[in-house]
Amino acid sequence: MSSISAEKILPSSRMRRLWWWRDRAIGIAVAWLGLMLLVAIFADRLAPYDYAALDLHHRLAAPLGLGGAIAHPFGSDELGRDVLSRLAISIRISLLIAFGATLIGAVLGIMLGILAAHFRGWVEQVVLGCVDFQASMPFLVLALAVLAFFGNSLLLFVGLIGLHGWERYARVTRALAMSANEQAYVIAVRQLGARPWRVYLRHIMPNIASTLIVTMTLAFPDIILLESGLSFLGLGVQPPLTSLGNMVGYGRDYLTRAPWILVLPSLVISLTTLSISLVGDWLRDRIDKTLS
Amino acid sequence: MARFIAVRLARALLTIGVVVTFAFVVLRASGDPARALLSPETPAEAVEAFRKAWGLDAPLWVQYARYLFAVVHGDLGQSMRDGRPAITVVAERIPVTLMLTAPALILNLLIGIPAGIYAALKRGSIADRLVMMVAVVGFTVPSFVLGLVFVLAFAVELPWFPSGGAGGWQHLVLPVITLGLGGAAVLARFSRSAMLEILGQPYIRAASAKGVPWPRVVTGHALPNAAIAVLTIVGFMVGNLIAGTVLVESVFSWPGIGSLLVVSVASRDLAVVQCIMLVVAAAMITTNVTIDLLYGMLDPRLRELRSGRR
Repeated sequence: MSSISAEKILPSSRMRRLWWWRDRAIGIAVAWLGLMLLVAIFADRLAPYDYAALDLHHRLAAPLGLGGAIAHPFGSDELGRDVLSRLAISIRISLLIAFGATLIGAVLGIMLGILAAHFRGWVEQVVLGCVDFQASMPFLVLALAVLAFFGNSLLLFVGLIGLHGWERYARVTRALAMSANEQAYVIAVRQLGARPWRVYLRHIMPNIASTLIVTMTLAFPDIILLESGLSFLGLGVQPPLTSLGNMVGYGRDYLTRAPWILVLPSLVISLTTLSISLVGDWLRDRIDKTLS
Repeated sequence: MARFIAVRLARALLTIGVVVTFAFVVLRASGDPARALLSPETPAEAVEAFRKAWGLDAPLWVQYARYLFAVVHGDLGQSMRDGRPAITVVAERIPVTLMLTAPALILNLLIGIPAGIYAALKRGSIADRLVMMVAVVGFTVPSFVLGLVFVLAFAVELPWFPSGGAGGWQHLVLPVITLGLGGAAVLARFSRSAMLEILGQPYIRAASAKGVPWPRVVTGHALPNAAIAVLTIVGFMVGNLIAGTVLVESVFSWPGIGSLLVVSVASRDLAVVQCIMLVVAAAMITTNVTIDLLYGMLDPRLRELRSGRR
């Protein structure tokens, strides 16, 4: 990309030190994401209590180290619900929603991108028009409007969040598929009589998959932020179910009396999005420098 | 140039049309508003009367035509919560929200662009790493978390600023900083990569090679070209800012459009929600058209190109 490469500017020892730090940071990020995945998978075994179980004798109990007891190691909330249990289940719900939504967005975007690249003409114009429309409205506002009109259910909510970000995949897929269509291997396969489906799924997709995976990694933090933001406003995941954003939104009312309710979920959201961003940037630099 | 502006305005009108239609379709697809609003015990004749009063008994295309007619005349229905026209309810919140977003946008630009350009010019240095690290943290920490941290630190622990509500300038400080920092982080990252891209171009090397002093290469060749790229993202930033406002206003109980939207969504006050959507769409479209016109001014190459396309 640049003619002035970093190695030329910097003495190499300093450069190496920076890379060393970067590799450590990536290592920590991956470890954190692994931990989050494990927590999500084993959430029900990790949680000492049911996440909705009330314990009215221990309401707003402080966590261990702040004068709390071992019964509620991370403290409890206004209804005596165990913060550790809720945190574990919240991580599971938030990650599930994020994965589901990312998948929906990716599948939809990739399909529309391929359709646009294949048919061109008015199909392409319609897809591009939708991309423009989506990009021109802040999605949070659109999402809130849909929630106002349709009410809230978990399925609708996941689908709605899935709609966020499809335009990135559509744009990337369209551009890549169009350039792939010009390349010799695709022309050859086509000449041999392969149907479009076969060409796109068996030949073009594997060749553009790495870029799409990077796109997905870069879109994932946005999905988590959108979900937690909506849930924070009380318009996302509905109680009794809980998610990280819900916990922060609920804990806000006890900010001064029981800050532990929201500190941990806030940290988890921030560290998780941070880790995915770091890993995404690193992947992008490794795999595909053309994306930005 | 006239043709360029005409094409842009036509597309803007089309987008408004799409938003209006989207609101209508979503509104009708969401089921019978009479059923949604009235309690299940409401007698059938009362439901009928309600339908008649709101024109819900007419065929769909008639409803659509009436709706379009009403929207064109600025009639966006009444708020079901307090009975006043939705547009009045929304309009009185607009200046309140602008009090937050305008300084936040300025903060975005003032911090984000210089930080990004500085990082690009000092690429690979400790300063560059530091700016980029802060930027990554800045846009991965959700605005509502950042806001709550500020409340805890500067309103509760150190009682310097009020924790919420509207009032004097002190009430503005925490929400504006919360809104401003997130956007500045995005902008810093983007300006850096735009600047790096430009610095790698052959014409920069050519200018350096013929002996133009480096500061003049930067101000005369690199910055104007990077400005075009950075302009692209400002539209996106305004969108982010609006979305951020919804969350930040809620954190700081700021009585602007964002809080109104949240309350209206929660109570399903559809007329107000729809009105807010139109206002946001209008704001976004105005921004994008302005940016496109600025493009035309900044970069004469784009004028003909853009009006020719689509």
